[in-house]
Amino acid sequence: MTDLSQPPEPEPRGDPSPGQSRRDLEQLVADRTLELTQALEQKTALLHEVDHRVKNNLQLISSLLLLQNRRVADPAVKAALRGMLDRVNAIATVHRRLFQSDDVERFDVSAFVRDLVADVVGSAGRDDIAFSLDLERVDVAASKAAPLALVISELLSNATRHAFPEGRPGRVFVGITRNEDAFRIEISDDGVGMPTSASVNGFGLTIIQLLCQQLKARFEALDASPGTRVVITLPVNGARP
Amino acid sequence: MNERPLGVLIVEDEVLLATELEFLLDEAGCRALGHAMTADEAVTMAHDLHPDLALVDVHLADGPTGVEVARRIHQDCGGVALFMTANVKRLPDDFAGACGVIGKPYSGNGVRSALHYLTACLRDGHAPGPPPVGLTLSPDYIALWGLHELAKAS
Repeated sequence: MTDLSQPPEPEPRGDPSPGQSRRDLEQLVADRTLELTQALEQKTALLHEVDHRVKNNLQLISSLLLLQNRRVADPAVKAALRGMLDRVNAIATVHRRLFQSDDVERFDVSAFVRDLVADVVGSAGRDDIAFSLDLERVDVAASKAAPLALVISELLSNATRHAFPEGRPGRVFVGITRNEDAFRIEISDDGVGMPTSASVNGFGLTIIQLLCQQLKARFEALDASPGTRVVITLPVNGARP
Repeated sequence: MNERPLGVLIVEDEVLLATELEFLLDEAGCRALGHAMTADEAVTMAHDLHPDLALVDVHLADGPTGVEVARRIHQDCGGVALFMTANVKRLPDDFAGACGVIGKPYSGNGVRSALHYLTACLRDGHAPGPPPVGLTLSPDYIALWGLHELAKAS
């Protein structure tokens, strides 16, 4: 490969005709432009290749979990695998979304929530749980996408899997609003309430608390009688909530 | 619904993905007819088995041959192809005659919803509504299945 950091050869001393040196310069510029264009094309191809591999590997991980989930009979093991599958799916949804948009630096949280809810609704197979969304368009840095997606996924899974024992109908609400220096994400349900749902999924709660710490976000779980309301307050650009 | 199940050919070089897809097909009320890993296998099986639908990965065991597989299934076998790939942006504008694409990584539920939806489209000749999340239809099939009219009506 050509070393692009090297400056072009200096013009030789002497006095060639003005027309000649101008043609030389133009040739140099054309050559370097070609080299840079080719280098950029190579890098772009490499980026696509890496993106492709990440997506295929995520697909492989999710298929492995699905296949094992079909094999085991123990309800506790099934629930654990199901939980991991939800988490991998959340990360997969992030990755699909990030490279769908033209801006790979920013992540549209509301679009992600719409995708995730559609998936959770379908896989829960519960027609008796009504979902409502009120989502303002909110972008975060791509580096925050995966941890934030995991937190939201965990809360949604909790609400759909634990708040409504078989036969109990109910509602789940997801709202995202933007204040001056923070985003507010609310997930609430009118199900059986916190003591039961939190004790059922202690690992999920740990994940939420750890990731909120990483995101410098505030996590509040309130008794909504009936049900639970969880509010995540995420500072914009490092401001404290 | 007591109708003939959709016969589906799986064209995918990752055996674990193909195995899981067979379960998903079964759950969506479809019948898996076979599993091909290369372009030649896929075209031969499509000729012999006459699938209603072929799920086609772009990168197969013999290289990026999936697009050509879709084109041949569309032109020579009378079946409908659906891409399943991580490289959605690299598909040709005409989708090589395929009806659409499911982007990888997909979820089990995403595939089941897409199969239910496509079963209705292929049976009725028109779409029951907008496609489910995760399924993108090709321009030709958006027109064929009357989605322009649906968009106007809503």
